[in-house]
Formats: sequence, C-alpha cells, structure tokens
Amino acid sequence: MKAILSRRKQNGRSPELGLRAASFIFILLMVVIPMIVIIQDAFREGFDEFWHQVSQPVAAHAILLTLWTSALMTLINAIMGLATAFVLVRYDFPGKGILNAIIDLPLAIPTLVTGVMLVILYGPQQTLGAFLDQQLGFQVIFAPPGIVLALLFITFPFVVRTIQPVLLELDIQQERAAATLGARGWPIFRRIIFPALALPTLSGSLLSFARAVGEFGAVVIVAGNIPFRSQTAAVYVLGAVESENRLAASAVSVVLIAISLLVILITNYLIKRRQIS
Amino acid sequence: MAKYQGTLLFALVLSFILAGCGASQPAAGEGSQGEVHLILGAYTTPREAYAEIVPLFQAHWLEETGQTVIFEESYLGSGAQSRAVVEGFEADVVALSLEADVTRIADAGLITHDWKAVGYNGMVSTSVVVFAVRPGNPLGIADWADLAEPGVEILTPNPATSGGAMWNVLSLYGAALRGHVAGVPAEDPEAAREFLTAVLRNVIVMDKGARESITNYEQGVGDLAITYENEILVGQQAGNDYEIVFPASSILIENPAAVIDAYVDKHGTREVAEAFVDFLSTKEAQEIFAQHGLRSVDPDVAAATADQYPPLEDIFTVEFFGGWPQATEDFFSENGIFNQAIQQAQGQ
Repeated sequence: MKAILSRRKQNGRSPELGLRAASFIFILLMVVIPMIVIIQDAFREGFDEFWHQVSQPVAAHAILLTLWTSALMTLINAIMGLATAFVLVRYDFPGKGILNAIIDLPLAIPTLVTGVMLVILYGPQQTLGAFLDQQLGFQVIFAPPGIVLALLFITFPFVVRTIQPVLLELDIQQERAAATLGARGWPIFRRIIFPALALPTLSGSLLSFARAVGEFGAVVIVAGNIPFRSQTAAVYVLGAVESENRLAASAVSVVLIAISLLVILITNYLIKRRQIS
Repeated sequence: MAKYQGTLLFALVLSFILAGCGASQPAAGEGSQGEVHLILGAYTTPREAYAEIVPLFQAHWLEETGQTVIFEESYLGSGAQSRAVVEGFEADVVALSLEADVTRIADAGLITHDWKAVGYNGMVSTSVVVFAVRPGNPLGIADWADLAEPGVEILTPNPATSGGAMWNVLSLYGAALRGHVAGVPAEDPEAAREFLTAVLRNVIVMDKGARESITNYEQGVGDLAITYENEILVGQQAGNDYEIVFPASSILIENPAAVIDAYVDKHGTREVAEAFVDFLSTKEAQEIFAQHGLRSVDPDVAAATADQYPPLEDIFTVEFFGGWPQATEDFFSENGIFNQAIQQAQGQ
C-alpha cells in the first residue's frame, strides 16, 4: 500500500486530491451530517429543555446504567481479549484455526439472536440460570449482569482483533533475548510484551465501549427493561420515540454520542503523549 | 487492488439489480385486466384472522364487480404502523389496536372523513385485559388484588413502547378506582395509585410489546402475565398450556379500522377500500375474528360466542378516563401517574 501511494505521489497530485475529496465527502454524507441532524434536533428547543430531558430521573438512570454496564464489560473485555489474543498468536494447539474463526462470529449474528440465546442459556427457567438464581442468589437475565454478558458477547472480537496483528509483528527475538538473560514469564510479559500491546488493547477496548453504549437488539431481550432498574439508554430512546417524545430521544442520544467522543479524544491524547515520550 | 475492483463491480451490479426490482414492482391501484391493488397496514395480533378474511373478501368483490383484488399486507406494532403511514407508507386501509393510532393519522390530515361514523363506531373487534396463569393456577390468582401479593412475578410490556401495556395500566387502575379491587377503596385516586405501585413492584420484565411479553411467558418466565384475552386464546390454540383468569373488572379494548383518504384517492382505490372496511363489520368477518380470540362488535355474533367470551361483572372504556388524549396525558406523560408509580416502586 505504501509503495502504491508513493508511486502515485510521483505521478502527480490529482489522483491524490480526488481520493481526499472523495473520502471527505463520504465521511460528511455518511457520518457528519446525520450527527449534526441529531444534535440540532436535541437542541431545537434550547439548552434548558435539552438539560431537562436528560436530567429526568428515568433518563438519567438509564444513561448511568448504560455507562456502568459498558464500562464493566470493557474492563473484562480488555483483560480477556488480551489473554485470548496472546494464546491465539503464541501457542499452537489442535483446533486453533477453528477457534480463531469463531471469534468473529458474534459480528455476524443478529444481536437480537444473541439476546434470545442468552435467555435460553441463563434464563431463570433454564438449568444454568435456575442454578445461579436459586443456589447462589445471582440473577443474570432480566438484571444488569445479563446486559454485561450480552455486551461482552457482541464486542468480544474488537479487542482480540486489534491486538492480534500487533502481536504477530512483535519481534519474538526480544522475548528470547530476555529469556536468555534469565527473565521468566511474567517479567517478560510486563516489560516487553505489554508495553507494545497497551495501545492496541486500549483502542480495541475503546471501540468495544463505543459499540456497547448504543447496543439495543440484544439488550432489549435480556435486560428486563424496567425503568430505574434495568432499562438502558437505548431502550429508553426507543420508548421516547414510540411515545412521540423525539426531543427526549435525541437529547439522550446526544449524551451518548458526547460521552463516546470524549472517551475517544482522551484516548487519542494519551496515545499521542505516549508516542512523543 | 484488483480484488477490490471486483468487489466494487459486484456491488454495482447488485445495486442495479435491486433498483430494477424496485422499478418492476406493480404500482398500487387499478391494474389493466380487472385487477385492483389494496394495501392493508395492520397491527400484528389479527394477522391470522386477516389470512381468512382477505380471501373471503376477494371472492365477494370478484362476484360483485368482476375485479380481482390483490392484497399487499403489512403487519407491524400498532404504533409503528401508524407512524409509518404518517411518514408516507401508502396504506389504503389501516387496522390498528387503538384509537389513538388512527387519530394520529387523521391529525396528519391523511384521513378526512368521519371514520368513527363507519360500522360500529369505526371499531371492528374488541378484547379485554385478563391474566395468563400457569396450569392449575398454582398461586390461586383470582382477581386484581392478588397481583399485589409479595413474590408474585408479573410480566407486562412497557407502556412507553407498547399500546398494550397502556391498556393494562389503565385497566388495573380503573378497576381499583371503580371499587373492584378488594382492599382498595373506590373513588380514591391515591389508593388506586398505591395499588398500581404495589403491582409494579412485582413486575420482573417489561417487554417491548404485548407479543414479546407473552412469548417470554411461554418460555416459562414469571408466574403471571397481564395481557389481552385474544393473546391467551391464540396461544392456547397454538398448544400452550397456560390458563386464563378473568378479573371482575376490566377495560374494553377497541380495535379500529379506517380508510386512508389521501392514499385511496391517490391510488384510485376508494371504492374497494371502503367496501373492505365495511366487510370487516359483516357477520362473516366478525365470526372469523371471534375464532381468533377477538370479541365481536356485532351483537348477534357476540351473543353466539358468549361461552368463549364471558361477560365481566364490570367493564369500562377509555372514556372513563376522558378518552385517549386525556389518559395519555394523565398517566404516561413526564409526571404522569404511571411514571410516579414506577419511580416509587423502584424506590427512587
């Protein structure tokens, strides 16, 4: 790709300019304009009205629930995604190819199906769900843990797939050298592997967080959707749309967009600072 | 690079094919050889009933006029269907679950005639709010008061997303206010709201719609589902073993159907559309609704099917709350009775 680009540069500026214009227009049409429409809609009756919609107890509670379940999922995803990617790249075992292929499946399954599947597996009437509920007093489905599970399933590939290529490129000689110098498993991981993987882990986790905040299909099935207990922001937005309250829908959506954007900006800043130092 | 060009080419070809399909679709309205297209936008509950009524009407219309009616049927949640029509889904006839959804279309200027003057006040079927309980009714649920007992796990859809849930809330509150709930004094709004709060405390899942709620119940979730009579009857016909419990007092759910003036005039289908809506009130069609769990609006058919549809001790309509606009405002607005009760029920 690099070679192609530099060759193009020598051939003259116009194709490059065209490419830039095309991608700029594409982003404008596909992302920027729809976002502006939502933001404009949310503020059409002024900031006070926007704030009123967002700070309503039922809306605020839904936003908070969405944020903490997404954050918890992101944390689990970061740790387990890192471990999974490491295992898949560094170890050989029978069935590795199949396992590697399975990781992408959650992206292909309609999220509604994911929800139904989790209810079948963990629902209060199912063996596993009933066991957890009655023996351990831990309700999964129709409670926040179900939301976290659904989000984990849906966003699992994001972290694994951002780490894998970096890990593949990582020079194994460094690890071997460290081993020769007497370092063992954990120090090698901490001193050599982790510093290289910190950024991809961070950006993969971020991607999964942003994706999770807006998730609807699976969550609406597993959450229970009771206001103040198990209703997430996306489900609240649907309710607002269904009951003709588009302002509330847009306002809550804007809050979700703003939070995702903020998280992305913070991460970008951290990455930049790291690269400079 | 070549690989991507191939993909691009494929996408281009695909989009042409899709565009072609769109263009070759027959336009609604009068066809050339004695054909007429009629677009029906309905809510999902009576789908099976329409599957039988439509062929009857087609035969009837063919005999009467020599014209073949080709139906295009769309089934969606009532609210979503109503909004789709307002936003430009050109249905000639709508059949929806509550009056407010037809009023929305009328308010958008698409219905210009007095649709409530047609047939039985514009309504083609009715139902009541009842309970589904587990086989043998293990908890001994008999009436509304039992729903507030601690530990009863209840399913009812979310009123924000489901018209059906609004009926449930109004039915429960109305029964309490009218003095048909043991232990709740009549004509006492405060007591009725507390009763609503106590029941909401027992609700474990609020699904998106009435159908999702009963599906969850069929999968074994919860002790009891508050739902429409017709959902239970249809579920039982499909082999589910839950039982029906009729409360002493319930709200009468009325399902309207109407011709959309703006679209029938555009398609030139007014005659056949009006005939279809009229046909829905005939004994023939009414009997089919009754076979699919819906109470008939025709007094004779209702009397003939009274075994299956027992009259309740007390039945009231949404007029008890001053009509839909008033009820929506009082119960489901920001500081409405429902929102107060759910907030209190969740200890906020």
